[in-house]
Amino acid sequence: MLEFLIQNNIVCHAVEAMLFASIACAILSVIITQVQISSIGFTMAHAAFAGAAVGMFLSLNPTVCSIVAGIGVAFLIGPLSDKARLSPDTSLGLLFGICMAVAIFFIAYMQTLGRGFSTMGLLFGDVISLYREEIYLLVVICIVAVAFVLVLYKEITAIIFNKRIAESVGIRVKPVYYAMLFMIALTVSLCLPIIGGLLLYVWLVIPAAIALQFCNRLSSMFVVAPAVAAVVSVSGALIGLEYSLPVAPLTAIIFSVVFIVAVILSPRRRVTFRKT
Amino acid sequence: MTPPDPIIRLESVYTAYEGADRPTLTDVSLAIEKGEFVVIGGPNGAGKTTLLETINGMLPITHGMATVCGQDVRKNGVQVRCRVGYLLQSFAFDPLTPFTVEEVVLMGRFGTIGLFRKPKKEDYEAVQGALSLLGIEDLAARPIGKLSGGQQQKVLMAQNLARNPEVLLLDEPFSNLDMFAREEINRLLAGLVGDGVTVLIVSHAFDDLPERAVRVVVMQEGTIVVNRECSPGEVEQVVRNAGREALHA
Ligand SMILES: Nc1ncnc2c1ncn2[C@@H]1O[C@H](COP(=O)(O)OP(=O)(O)O)[C@@H](O)[C@H]1O
Ligand SMILES: [Mg+2]
Repeated sequence: MLEFLIQNNIVCHAVEAMLFASIACAILSVIITQVQISSIGFTMAHAAFAGAAVGMFLSLNPTVCSIVAGIGVAFLIGPLSDKARLSPDTSLGLLFGICMAVAIFFIAYMQTLGRGFSTMGLLFGDVISLYREEIYLLVVICIVAVAFVLVLYKEITAIIFNKRIAESVGIRVKPVYYAMLFMIALTVSLCLPIIGGLLLYVWLVIPAAIALQFCNRLSSMFVVAPAVAAVVSVSGALIGLEYSLPVAPLTAIIFSVVFIVAVILSPRRRVTFRKT
Repeated sequence: MTPPDPIIRLESVYTAYEGADRPTLTDVSLAIEKGEFVVIGGPNGAGKTTLLETINGMLPITHGMATVCGQDVRKNGVQVRCRVGYLLQSFAFDPLTPFTVEEVVLMGRFGTIGLFRKPKKEDYEAVQGALSLLGIEDLAARPIGKLSGGQQQKVLMAQNLARNPEVLLLDEPFSNLDMFAREEINRLLAGLVGDGVTVLIVSHAFDDLPERAVRVVVMQEGTIVVNRECSPGEVEQVVRNAGREALHA
């Protein structure tokens, strides 16, 4: 799609992938941080990771397996808390541990079988060996994420404001909430091969955290977070490929630096003395 | 002519919190006519908040029958909540909450606007109307987290008024308000009741009640122990007597 800008095919595909993955993740990052479900996002990212590892081991489609695992976790959290009499926080910690164990077991096992090369991408992301279809899929998820927020904007903002108040004004909180979790599972699974299971979480939290330093309004956060994420991710891809550095880890580091700078520059924290 | 159906009707209702082994409300029956002003009293933990959330269907009813505004609460909770305003008990918003007062008040209309629709001109007009009823037009563009507790309470009150509710449930709405604000809100409520809105208010302050017959409901340990009409001046005495009898029982 961006061939007219970037001649090198590999670089072009890498930039496209990072661009669309980062926009989709950044939009969801606003929801994740504002509804305060980062531990759910965290656990779902690792469930997708485990799903992909199992899928790869069994030679099934890793993306489909990670979608199934991510959604599975979303629907396990509630019942697990009830049945095992655990707080949601504890059950998420538990699920996270189980997912990590499963993922690491299969990745380590595949390495002893000499299939280690393909598992590296799962861990640290891979922007080099992408199929055209994978990039189209990322474009689709990007559009779906934008449409999701636009179509359910009232409901999403009310839930972000306060779940109980949202329910009391007649909003169907539960279906919208589960739709959010479904969107997170889908996005996480599709972005996993590019960003990698160990770093995905950076894309799901930092863009919103940066936007929060400059935005007073939710609507502006939904614009600033994807914009920042797109700029950072595209820069990360270009710099990484130019200097042969690992792209996703490099981008994660740039995200962290931008976040620290944003905190220092944040007008929301600055105390101003004015008489009027 | 037969008298109209009560706007709120509970018949031996039991309500249990999710995961609780015993119901919190036990065998509660209540009939309230359109346009009544109901004061709900009783000690902390008696089930007053639980009663309000049973009426608007936010809590699961395990036994009994409940109809509000002609709708079965158990089946059509969402429809009931679109018509019933509910001011939740004591709230404090984080200073960084990214919502302005205007946005919060508009939220009151989201249920009635419905899925996939955008707010229209009439919705924004209702917001302005509610803000001016409470005298907080000047706060419209301020972030809600940076207001005082009393101001936040007024904003949530405005959110409920912007909905033009048929029934208004208020859970200790005076807890953060100064005495002028209390008088103002009481005048406002009297006006609403005059217009045919049914008001149920949980409160521990019984001065400045509207000058009209009110119904007093006193709750204790999850049931209604007193339910009678009286004059506004008698309310405090009725609640006190119920408390004293419980102490000696
Ligand atoms: N979320 C909850 N889960 C379980 N029990 C609750 C919950 N909230 C309240 N209760 C119980 O319900 C009873 C009534 O509470 P509530 O209706 O809030 O009392 P009131 O509003 O009259 O002070 C209390 O004994 C309390 O222990
Ligand atoms: Mg209460």
